[in-house]
Amino acid sequence: MTITSASANPSSAFRFPLPRIHPRLRLPLAIVAIVLVAPFAVPPLLGIDPNAMSVLERFAGPSLAHPLGLDEFGRDRLARVLIGAQASLRVAVISALISCTIGSLIGLFGAYFRGLAGFLSTKTADVVLCFPPILLALLVVTLMGPGTTTLIWVLSIIYFPAFARIVYLEASRVSQLDYVVAAKALGARPRRVMFRTMLPNISGPIIVQLSLTAAAAIVTESGLSYLGLGVVPPDPSWGQMIRGARAYMERDPLGIIIPCVAISLTIYSVNLLTDRLRDVLDPKGLSGGIPILSPRRPKVQAAPQSATLEADTVLRIDHLDVATNTNGTPIKLIEDVNLRVRRGRCTALVGESGSGKSLTASSVMGLLPRGVNVTAGDIMLRSHNGETIQVTTLSGEDLEAIRGRDAAMIFQEPMTALNPVYRVGDQLIEAAKIHRSVSSAQAREEGIEFLKRVGVNDPVRRFDSFPHMLSGGLRQRVMIAMALSMQPGLLLADEPTTALDVTVQAEIIDLLIALKNSAGAPGILFISHDLGVVAQLADEIAVMYAGRVVEQGPAATVLGNARHPYTRALLQSMPAAHEELHASRSDTLPSIGGTPPLPHERPAGCAFRDRCPHAVSVCAEVRPDLTSVDGPDHLAACHLTRGSAV
Amino acid sequence: MIEQYNLLEVEKLSLGFGGGNGLLRSQPAMILRDVSFTIGQGEIIGLVGESGSGKSTIGKAVLKLLKAQEGRIRFDGVDISDLSEHDMRPLRREMQIVFQDPYSSLDPRQTVRGILSDALDIHRLHTGTAREPRLVELLDMVGLRREFLDRYPHEFSGGQRQRIGIARAMSVEPRLIVADEPVSALDVSIQAQVINLIARLRDQTGVSVLFISHDLSVVRFISDRIIVLYLGKIMEVGPADLVHHAPLHPYSKALVSAEPRLDQKSSRIRLTGDIPSPLKPPSGCVFRTRCPFALPACAEGVPELREVAPGRSKACIRDDIDMETAA
Repeated sequence: MTITSASANPSSAFRFPLPRIHPRLRLPLAIVAIVLVAPFAVPPLLGIDPNAMSVLERFAGPSLAHPLGLDEFGRDRLARVLIGAQASLRVAVISALISCTIGSLIGLFGAYFRGLAGFLSTKTADVVLCFPPILLALLVVTLMGPGTTTLIWVLSIIYFPAFARIVYLEASRVSQLDYVVAAKALGARPRRVMFRTMLPNISGPIIVQLSLTAAAAIVTESGLSYLGLGVVPPDPSWGQMIRGARAYMERDPLGIIIPCVAISLTIYSVNLLTDRLRDVLDPKGLSGGIPILSPRRPKVQAAPQSATLEADTVLRIDHLDVATNTNGTPIKLIEDVNLRVRRGRCTALVGESGSGKSLTASSVMGLLPRGVNVTAGDIMLRSHNGETIQVTTLSGEDLEAIRGRDAAMIFQEPMTALNPVYRVGDQLIEAAKIHRSVSSAQAREEGIEFLKRVGVNDPVRRFDSFPHMLSGGLRQRVMIAMALSMQPGLLLADEPTTALDVTVQAEIIDLLIALKNSAGAPGILFISHDLGVVAQLADEIAVMYAGRVVEQGPAATVLGNARHPYTRALLQSMPAAHEELHASRSDTLPSIGGTPPLPHERPAGCAFRDRCPHAVSVCAEVRPDLTSVDGPDHLAACHLTRGSAV
Repeated sequence: MIEQYNLLEVEKLSLGFGGGNGLLRSQPAMILRDVSFTIGQGEIIGLVGESGSGKSTIGKAVLKLLKAQEGRIRFDGVDISDLSEHDMRPLRREMQIVFQDPYSSLDPRQTVRGILSDALDIHRLHTGTAREPRLVELLDMVGLRREFLDRYPHEFSGGQRQRIGIARAMSVEPRLIVADEPVSALDVSIQAQVINLIARLRDQTGVSVLFISHDLSVVRFISDRIIVLYLGKIMEVGPADLVHHAPLHPYSKALVSAEPRLDQKSSRIRLTGDIPSPLKPPSGCVFRTRCPFALPACAEGVPELREVAPGRSKACIRDDIDMETAA
């Protein structure tokens, strides 16, 4: 899997290959090295016999000659705890490695070959798990006699089933993933698939289990030695030390504290190492993992003017900025977005992934992810009693109160948005029960009525179904019914048809169109990447690119007379727009080169200029403002729309 | 299209899941029923259908990643239906797969170099000093820069990852690629790039492609012929432009008319209800429960896939539907 630096870079082939240790591994590796080496290296230097007794000096406190004092037989505790570590560590490390190897192999084979191999591997592990560990230990000790080797076998047998089960589960999960299928499709032999493709991807849990096992083995060794089943006296081990010191615990607490501290330190250092190791081995672990975000959520100061919404408007977004804060540098995700949704009308927000369209919707609901905040601008929402709510100034409970009642949301994947363990109907009327005081019977009646309204056949039966019993289209209808049940002024629809089949998608679009034309219809903010869907539904369109609106206006104008090069390119890259072209005639679909810039890599000037076929020098310097083109309603943010046409 | 050499011939393929043995034996859910088709050398066949139609299952069965219960698969004239995994291994080089999800299709623990080298190592291709130029050539073929070789998959965008997946498939110089929804997870502006790439690779290398997609307009552009699938049965086969512009089967017509379009054509065939469960498929024609033209006779016999015009077949007993005015 790993390519050595020598093969990657021929010029460095003759350099002595010094292992490069990851900075995050240096500290734990050093600690573990000390813990492992000290027991073997230090005692010869001390030159003290751990078994030499000096009965007269028993329980002597720490002194220069005996830094940790003497035990109940007058033996040097420092020497004993170090020599004892030899036995404890040998037993723990070897048994953890043996159980890990055997368990992982069994689990991996079982998961790869399934069938009989899978059955045997899980059942072997299960049978061993059924034995109480102490009983198992007694059995093995009876057969083999006490001693270090016996202990290693006992612990290996006790701990391998855990590895087998974990590896079996993880490997079964990974073996379904496309890249494992790809390896099989390439003709890789089972050994290669198991050890090169699957094993590295389940190494995380194995490493964690390894550290837990090593820790548990140290403790169990102590316990078994304490019972007299492990290391044979007078040879020291940590268990033996605890056993000896226990009788004099009140008189001499130090005797029991010393081996306990040794055990705790060792376990802690092993855990630290394995935790770091797991992070370092995962290529995503450190760079692409959880971003370091500022946990504090700065509040936007309330806009001084108490603005009110126009009579026909249910949502207005003014100059919205949303930003995140990575390692102290603020990064703007959304910049200067202005939007308006009218009652009974549909405003569509169109853009690709990462354009900021979903974040815009989340800010309306106050549902921005942790560490992402509204930093400027205003969001005004029509409340159910007609007042204007400034969403950006709300927090906590006030935000919860508007969700569902004043603004409701439907999502792309209706299966994940519905709770699988509750009946559809109960979820549907839950909101009504929370926000209004209605009786259960009345709520049920209303719920069934809502299901009927969104075109659900047999609504009474569906009301009592569980989500998994419904098809994707029906689930989305249920979601829409739920959203409408509180008669919100605003319906936020985030890619509600993307996960559906085309014929079902067409039905849902029909439903939304019918909804728009019904009495008391909400305004719809429709978020989509699909201009074809948007064309059916939207009255107004805003096209977003790299966090900004680049073109905005009435739907027919934006689609029919697009002025921004990005909007034009989007329209052009739809295969449906080119029915005269065909690959067999060596035609190519018009496409936009490159990829959208990431938020922290957005260039100065126009963010689209690197991919724009018409870019001129001014595009790199000045960021174009959204200005009116053609008419007052049609806005575009492009230098080329002024004066000369694109 | 002129008479060409059939690289892949699939005959009466049937495949089901579940069922089990012994006491717990139950009716298996039949995902595919009697599916027959051919792919010519250098041909792109589009396989369209909705979720549950079994289109991905066909792709995996053709590659023998799933075992079919019945039917024959011939690749380059050789019957591979009963080959063991061991005997399949040399043939794996000839047939490759490209996946839908650009995130789960690449091993997150390997660099691009590792991913592509793995493919070459398995078949001992371009070893030693020939390796590096080949890796660069592969990246170049899919339009990626050579600096990307030592990066990990998570450092790439979806479109770039899909290109890496295509490079992996092309690395062993296959003669057939099963592309399972290769552009569905990509942004619109990136989709067109990847479609063009697949079309260009076909032109350059003569590879045959089984292009699986739910998006009829994508399939129409890239495919030479289209197969329309519904509930594990082939409904219609024909040249791409014709199936798209003048479908013969009511289901094809419904699919075409449901496509979201910029020019709002409101003439749509409305289907009622949902796709039936493959556990309990309707008798006779599987589409009849949702077909606006169904007759009582449709419930009786399973309609044959029959040739109704040169190169065009459909599985529908009715020839009297006027599709132009049907909606």
